[in-house]
Amino acid sequence: MIADWSQQIVLAATILSWFIIGAGLAQTAIYLLQLIFAGYALSKRPPVARSALLWHRYGDVAPPIALLVPAYNEALNVVESVHSMLALEYPNFEVVVINDGSKDDTLQRLIDAFKLVKFRRPYEEALAHQPIRGLYSSPMTERLFVVDKENGGKADAQNAGINVCRAPLFCVIDGDSILEPDALMRAVQPFIDDPERTIAVGGTIRIANGSKIEAGRVREIHLPRRLLPLLQVVEYLRAFLMARLAWSSINTLMLVSGAFGMFRRAEVVAVGGFTKGSMGEDLDLVIKLHRHMRDIRRKYRIQFIPEPVCWTEAPETLSVLARQRTRWQRGALECFFRYRSMLFNPRYGRVGFLGFGHILIVDVLGPVAEVLGYILIPAFWLLGILSAEYLLAFTSLIFTYGVCVSVCSLVLEEAELQRFPRARDLAVLTAVAVIENFGYRQLNNFWRVKGWWQFLRGNQGWGEMTRTGLGGAKK
Amino acid sequence: MWYIWDLSILLSALSLVIMLFLIARRVVQEHRDSAAADQRRQLLTALIAFTESRDKEALKAAVLGVPAGVAINAGFEFISLLRGEERDDVLVAFIECGLPTLVGKQLERGNVADRIHATEMLAALGSEEAWGRLLAALDHDRSREVRIAAAIALCDLGSLPLLGVALDKIGVAGQRSRRLIELFRRFPRSRFNELAVHASRVDAVPFVRAAAIDALARAGGFGFSDFFAGLTGDASPEVVAAALRALGHTGHPEAPAILARAMENEDWDVRAAAAESAGRLSLPELAAPLSRLMDDEMWAVRYAAANALLSSGQPGELLLREIAASEVSRSQRTASLILAEGPAA
Repeated sequence: MIADWSQQIVLAATILSWFIIGAGLAQTAIYLLQLIFAGYALSKRPPVARSALLWHRYGDVAPPIALLVPAYNEALNVVESVHSMLALEYPNFEVVVINDGSKDDTLQRLIDAFKLVKFRRPYEEALAHQPIRGLYSSPMTERLFVVDKENGGKADAQNAGINVCRAPLFCVIDGDSILEPDALMRAVQPFIDDPERTIAVGGTIRIANGSKIEAGRVREIHLPRRLLPLLQVVEYLRAFLMARLAWSSINTLMLVSGAFGMFRRAEVVAVGGFTKGSMGEDLDLVIKLHRHMRDIRRKYRIQFIPEPVCWTEAPETLSVLARQRTRWQRGALECFFRYRSMLFNPRYGRVGFLGFGHILIVDVLGPVAEVLGYILIPAFWLLGILSAEYLLAFTSLIFTYGVCVSVCSLVLEEAELQRFPRARDLAVLTAVAVIENFGYRQLNNFWRVKGWWQFLRGNQGWGEMTRTGLGGAKK
Repeated sequence: MWYIWDLSILLSALSLVIMLFLIARRVVQEHRDSAAADQRRQLLTALIAFTESRDKEALKAAVLGVPAGVAINAGFEFISLLRGEERDDVLVAFIECGLPTLVGKQLERGNVADRIHATEMLAALGSEEAWGRLLAALDHDRSREVRIAAAIALCDLGSLPLLGVALDKIGVAGQRSRRLIELFRRFPRSRFNELAVHASRVDAVPFVRAAAIDALARAGGFGFSDFFAGLTGDASPEVVAAALRALGHTGHPEAPAILARAMENEDWDVRAAAAESAGRLSLPELAAPLSRLMDDEMWAVRYAAANALLSSGQPGELLLREIAASEVSRSQRTASLILAEGPAA
């Protein structure tokens, strides 16, 4: 009887171990694939031209762009953000700030700063959203419009902005983010080079904590002084310069960040805009665009280009970061299950196989397998089911591989952007690439499993994102 | 078992070596960048001094005293700020220093960004050598962006081959780029007939045909109005819409009939273009079809139609007010919205 039980335990342990190993190997294979694709894409990409040259070259043919800035309780940053957006170097753009029923004085600060007056502007009610209370324009600049609407969430606010804007292209950006002056000019390039096929373009998001910010511009780039945002710097490099560059090179990019993405309005309207109430409205929109374009059998491109940079503030406390990560996880799961019919569906080609396969392995199974691994593998070793030698060898391999992947993303950063000005920064980031594997990586996976749990329980809250504001000088 | 440990050690060593290499490379680069910044400052100082003293020999010495890359980049950045005689004098000095040859090498051996920049610099230098190198780039360069840039530069120098030949060299993939619009806008008046020939080629890419029509409409004037009127019967909606917009710029005796017909077209872009042109030409006889378009299913068409009525003078505005005061409908709502545009009361 006891022998029977022990046999079954060993069998269950073996199955679980293989599941964990299988998920780990699949993730490893995906990262390796991403590195190869990203390296290849980078070798094919020309080094970037100077901003002045871009203006000279593309200024006359650059299409109009509407910059949509949803703002909810952004009183701290909003005026400075809008000033910096109005100063962007682009020949033809308008800034549409959407005050999403803020409880603070976001709207009043805008009214005071830009002497806003109520304005009537006809617009197409192509997308549904909460009622608009008023439109405002500024006598100080023709480029600025403010939409004051009832609260409906970020996606709802963005839909209102899409309705009101008149440009054929729109760019979404978070109210607390800072675009580099030439970011629009760089991001619009695919729309100039291939205007018929390009429907969306994403740029790089970088962490501004620690950098010197004046008048809504990043004047001096520094690494964050605190460990938590520093760890996120390496994470963002990996996510943008490795993963997105790789998937973009084979037109399988599944995410154009809501913090900085440019879209063709007509296609976004055709898919119904951003999905209201979605936890991952940016991922959701890109999946809808893929599905729509493949359904109507039209050639299209959704691209990531590394050069246009948007700076954002990263969470500096564990509690805020935990809320952000659990929300991201819920967003990924929500999109995965909402569009699950696309998974491995030949109709959707590489998007169904590679794009959705990636979400399945990295976002759906990945965190569960990794956390199970952290708990069960040592438990099996304690129970004598697993040999200590194997435990140590595999653990060491997992960590060194993680370090190697991070280091390779630093290579990509160095080859492409070189935004960190000092050699010392590279040394610091190398150390961080090692450190993040001991504690931060596990914590992140724990938050993602928590996100899984919240998703299963139907928790749809966004949670408060406490901001200290980028406007202040060096933090 | 040992191979797992070996692999771990290999990965660690690899990571360490890569990072040490990157850090060392960056240190060297920092030194080089600092030196290049100094040299750039020296050259810019010499260039500013030249604009006052016109001492060509001193300028040539300064140009030859810095590395070619610095001379090319700083030099051309500076001449983009100059006009007239000053610019010509600086260019002569650059040519005498052999910069066209250096830029030509950049056009052959540089990366795509460098090669595109080289075409622009060669266009500015305008020497015999520049033409040859640009033609070679248009012929052979593997990047379509560089070929388009070479075509634009050749156009600026007045040496672009026949348009059909140039477009063939640019290739089909390159014929989707908005940069072609720029090429066409730079076309010399004496070669407008080539644009017209290309715009009427039914086998050509509709985007390129539309761009050619747009360029002709902007600069060609009334002389092409018959040509545009003829293209409004084309099979491609993109070409028809462009031709209608062109008619809006030039006008045509048959414009009212053509535009009224186009307002019935099944493609919404064509209907919107017709309404837009009707507004630009302020044709009172189109008030009825325009008011019908205000019930169109597409917002862009309704908006263009209402704006056209508003811009066609007092009768149009009165009609718009009448519609706005009528029973609730799509037309009524559009009219009210357009009339209300502006600062709130």
